[in-house]
Amino acid sequence: MNKIQKDLLLLPVLFKKIAFGIMVLCVLFVVLSLSKVLTIEKGVVKTITSSGLLMSLLLLAITRNKTEDERTLRIRLQAFAASFIYGVGVVIIEPFINLLFDNNFLSDKGVTELLISMFLFYFLMVFIMKRNR
Amino acid sequence: MKNTIKIQRAIKDLTQEALAKKISVSRQTINSIEKNRYVPSTVLALKISEVFDKSVNEIFELEDED
Repeated sequence: MNKIQKDLLLLPVLFKKIAFGIMVLCVLFVVLSLSKVLTIEKGVVKTITSSGLLMSLLLLAITRNKTEDERTLRIRLQAFAASFIYGVGVVIIEPFINLLFDNNFLSDKGVTELLISMFLFYFLMVFIMKRNR
Repeated sequence: MKNTIKIQRAIKDLTQEALAKKISVSRQTINSIEKNRYVPSTVLALKISEVFDKSVNEIFELEDED
């Protein structure tokens, strides 16, 4: 690992397990509340699960891979840039798509949904770039 | 940029995995460099040249489009 990679301050590999653990807990929480085992308000369940999901995706994104080298660093940075452009693109284009299909120019997507979709786009980009290089 | 890593590996009887281990990168990175899909940094090029006891110019060669 070179100096640039050390300066990136990525989390140790162990955090991947923690991230998947949080994800599983979120799914379990949704299942339990849907099956009425837990009687919690729907809005609270949505907030907790979306925050948990965001946290686990963030941990996955900033956790070191088993082998971290300059090529993976480059892929990581390109994927981050691509997901940022995707996010901005979605915010710009979404009102026009709404106008086209719903006759409504207002954007109804929340920040959490946008961030989750940006993270998913990031992981998709990393997967594609790793396969093509 | 062309390179002769594959030939140098064959001379030294090194697998991609073994070379990757020596210079602390992944096997996929070595594969990408060999197939000219990834241009390594100066540091990595110097590490590769050190493994093969050759100068960087003997392993990497500029092409017209570079």
